[in-house]
Amino acid sequence: MIWFTWRQFRTPAVVTAGALAMLAVGLLVSRGTITDLYASVAACQSDCGNAVEAFLTRFYNSAGGTVYYTTLAIMYAAPPLIGIFWGAPLVAREIEAGTHRLAWNQSITRTRWLATKLGLIGAATAAATGLLSWAVTAWASRVDSAAADRITPLVFGARGIVPIAYALFAFTLGVTAGMLVRRTVPAMAGTLAVYTAAVAAMPLWLRTHLAPATHETPALDMGNLDALMIDRSGAVAVEPNDVTNAWTITNQPITPTGQVFTGPVDPTRCGPDLPSGSCTEWVGSLGLRQNVVYHPDSQYWTLQLAETAVFLGLAAALAIVSFWWLRRRLS
Amino acid sequence: MTEVVLQADGLTKRYGRRVALADCTLDIPPGRVVGLVGPNGAGKTTLLQLAVGMLTPTAGRITVLGGRPGDGPAQLAKVGFVAQDAPTYANLSVKDHLRFGARTNPSWDQALADARIAELGLDPSQKAGRLSGGQRAQLALTMAVAKRPELLILDEPVASLDPIARREFMRGLMAHTAEHRSSVILSSHLVSDLERVCDYVIVLTDSRVRVAGDIDELMGSHYRLTGARRDAADLPAGAEAIEHSHTERQSTFIVRSLVPVEDPSLTVEQLTLEDLVLAYLSRSVAAHRPELETAR
Repeated sequence: MIWFTWRQFRTPAVVTAGALAMLAVGLLVSRGTITDLYASVAACQSDCGNAVEAFLTRFYNSAGGTVYYTTLAIMYAAPPLIGIFWGAPLVAREIEAGTHRLAWNQSITRTRWLATKLGLIGAATAAATGLLSWAVTAWASRVDSAAADRITPLVFGARGIVPIAYALFAFTLGVTAGMLVRRTVPAMAGTLAVYTAAVAAMPLWLRTHLAPATHETPALDMGNLDALMIDRSGAVAVEPNDVTNAWTITNQPITPTGQVFTGPVDPTRCGPDLPSGSCTEWVGSLGLRQNVVYHPDSQYWTLQLAETAVFLGLAAALAIVSFWWLRRRLS
Repeated sequence: MTEVVLQADGLTKRYGRRVALADCTLDIPPGRVVGLVGPNGAGKTTLLQLAVGMLTPTAGRITVLGGRPGDGPAQLAKVGFVAQDAPTYANLSVKDHLRFGARTNPSWDQALADARIAELGLDPSQKAGRLSGGQRAQLALTMAVAKRPELLILDEPVASLDPIARREFMRGLMAHTAEHRSSVILSSHLVSDLERVCDYVIVLTDSRVRVAGDIDELMGSHYRLTGARRDAADLPAGAEAIEHSHTERQSTFIVRSLVPVEDPSLTVEQLTLEDLVLAYLSRSVAAHRPELETAR
């Protein structure tokens, strides 16, 4: 059965290996760009903020920047593609072609038939996404540390070990969907829809609950504002900068009594006819504080491990469902 | 091989409200080539899929060679199955199929498989998707026989084949059963497919078994009676009318009788298997359309 699983899986395996090899060549070639640009940061002894900024600007505008965004897209696309093209057809295509009636009448139980397929192709899934994530994470490590953004949602899901868990979840989801729907194309569509919803729900609502967030209310630092806007109705929008090297969840100005500060503006202290800087001075005199909730970079691995555990758990649950369905219902 | 090949007791399969097989009771002795005959949609495939464990019964019990169908590798090894339309992997070669069989069946007979493929003139490197319907059916049969099963189950194996492929397939099947003495159950909606090869027949219509038994016994207990017009009630004692037709002056009956019919007013004739099966098939049709009967 191991041989037969490999025989059926050979073509997609070769295609995937080829794609990974091409990507590896691309990463090796463009690695030089990062090393060259990073030289000024590496040589910097003290007060390196400007050197880092310059490095990032030049990097994003170089060919390396294109590779960076491409790898980001690949990291997010790989798990659902595995779910759609490896997972969904695994059982559905057999049922569509009727070949399950051939396969299940050899002298092996269908439980073993499925276990071999899930085991081998699941291992290939973990290996492919593990290699991919390792290569991309290593390639981008200098950019990530310079930008100090590996814990922010967009980068977080494309680095470290979570992509492996995403891919195993997508794969088992595809297999289970194919078994329930019994048709390949609808199973593929269902896999994509459910996968996207599950992975999008993490940064939107769930990930922040995986580790305790830091909650602080320091005095509002007028020197550290991203924006200060006053509109014609007199509403004031004060936007403090996000916490550096952290994933900022909430970030708003509050009054000494704890309300979110939105104005109204005091026209005698801040208006179009008054000298520039007067609005900043006025807001600074209100005694505002900053209500900020964030996950510091030190929680990166805690969050990676917790999210990996969540998706491995989902993958295991789906595998159990698929075995149960195969034995009890698929007849 | 003394055990009963297939034993069913009140076997029923329902899909929601639709009954696919109702209260089927069977006792098939070993060493038979069993023909399962009935019109399309009668429940033949359901019965065979229950026998290999592809389906589980809604009610009742089925045992095949003393075990529960599909229950573990040992049971699977005892039964060879060629499903309807002989499914094969279109993008895998003949050789890949045989290798799949060799790797998943402990009792696989590679010499038998190779010999059959050579005899059929199949190219081992040919993809199954490029074989003709007859060749695909032969490949599926080769996989089923090379696992050396005690019972071979074939679901409409020749339905999609042209007459020559049909004859070739049946010839191959017969040669195999003669040599290896395995039991065979095969289904068809045509009696002519089964007539020459079977020694046991099961007639299935409208999801019910109408008659089942050794063909010799059935032929020896069914007769066509022709005589002056009369009612079925006036037949000799022990004769059960299966089918009757009347003209103005004459009545013809097909009857089942365990004792020879000795009535000088009736002409007694032997039946062909086709006559016998058709009589049972039309009886179930008549039972379902009483208005048609009265209109005659």
